[in-house]
Amino acid sequence: MRFGLRWRIHGMATVRREYRALQRANDGPLLVCANHLTMVDSALIAWALGSPAWFLVHYAMLPWNVPERRNFAGSVTSRVLVYLMKCVPVVRGGDRRNVAGVLARLAWLLGRGEVVLVFPEGGRSRSGRVEVESAAWGVGRLIAGVPSCRVLCVYLRGMRQRGFGYAPPRGEHFHVRLAVLRPRSELTGMRRAQDLSQQVVRTLARLEEQQLDDR
Amino acid sequence: MSEMEVMQTVVSILTPYAKNGDALSHVGPNTHILDDLEVNSARLVDVVLAFEDKFGIEIADDDVDTVNTVGDAVRLISAKLA
Repeated sequence: MRFGLRWRIHGMATVRREYRALQRANDGPLLVCANHLTMVDSALIAWALGSPAWFLVHYAMLPWNVPERRNFAGSVTSRVLVYLMKCVPVVRGGDRRNVAGVLARLAWLLGRGEVVLVFPEGGRSRSGRVEVESAAWGVGRLIAGVPSCRVLCVYLRGMRQRGFGYAPPRGEHFHVRLAVLRPRSELTGMRRAQDLSQQVVRTLARLEEQQLDDR
Repeated sequence: MSEMEVMQTVVSILTPYAKNGDALSHVGPNTHILDDLEVNSARLVDVVLAFEDKFGIEIADDDVDTVNTVGDAVRLISAKLA
């Protein structure tokens, strides 16, 4: 990505230092929640959080991804890649029992000390901005089901990114911001899940505002 | 409340969330809420909360996992009301 596509992530050393500190603190499962604008966001976020060498030594810190099954089912290459990488495929809007099964698998992984990356807006933002009203309640349900879950909010955006797209242009420069929170809610049932999801997406929206203000 | 009344109320709750008006005009127990009515899955929580408020019931996360079609929703709500 750095040499072939000439992509650059500004502040990457600071971000990697903060991520290593979270790994060392080791005080609860770690769920990474990020904004979503392109199809390569998962790879970009992993690149921002750690070097390949560091992830080889700390393999549990390489986040699991939850790709939409329909996005990779059409190509043999992508199916092989998804099989080999840390992925738990999901059919967005599919049978509710299957979605619940995916959430249960993610909760199990988090409980084992693995890091999981999800996009709480449920898909790439069509407006190009964090959409608070699109907060997927499944993220809140996942957080509610994992005691002491820490959430690392990652806001990553290319300088030339206007709306959503497939991949950033060659030579793109990215900025990344982090925020850590432990969402809490006194509500119950689905209201609790909704409340927890919205806390996460609102944090991403706040990071977005900071980033756009700094431009 | 009869199952027919529950069905009518469920459809009225789903109406503002359904993107497929054609499917809505032919709605039946086998109509899939997400695939046929094209309700955004992120909006499903709002639909379920509206069910809770309208019928005065509580629907657990596990119950939601059993709801795929309009008929599933009607059966679940009717069972809670019984």
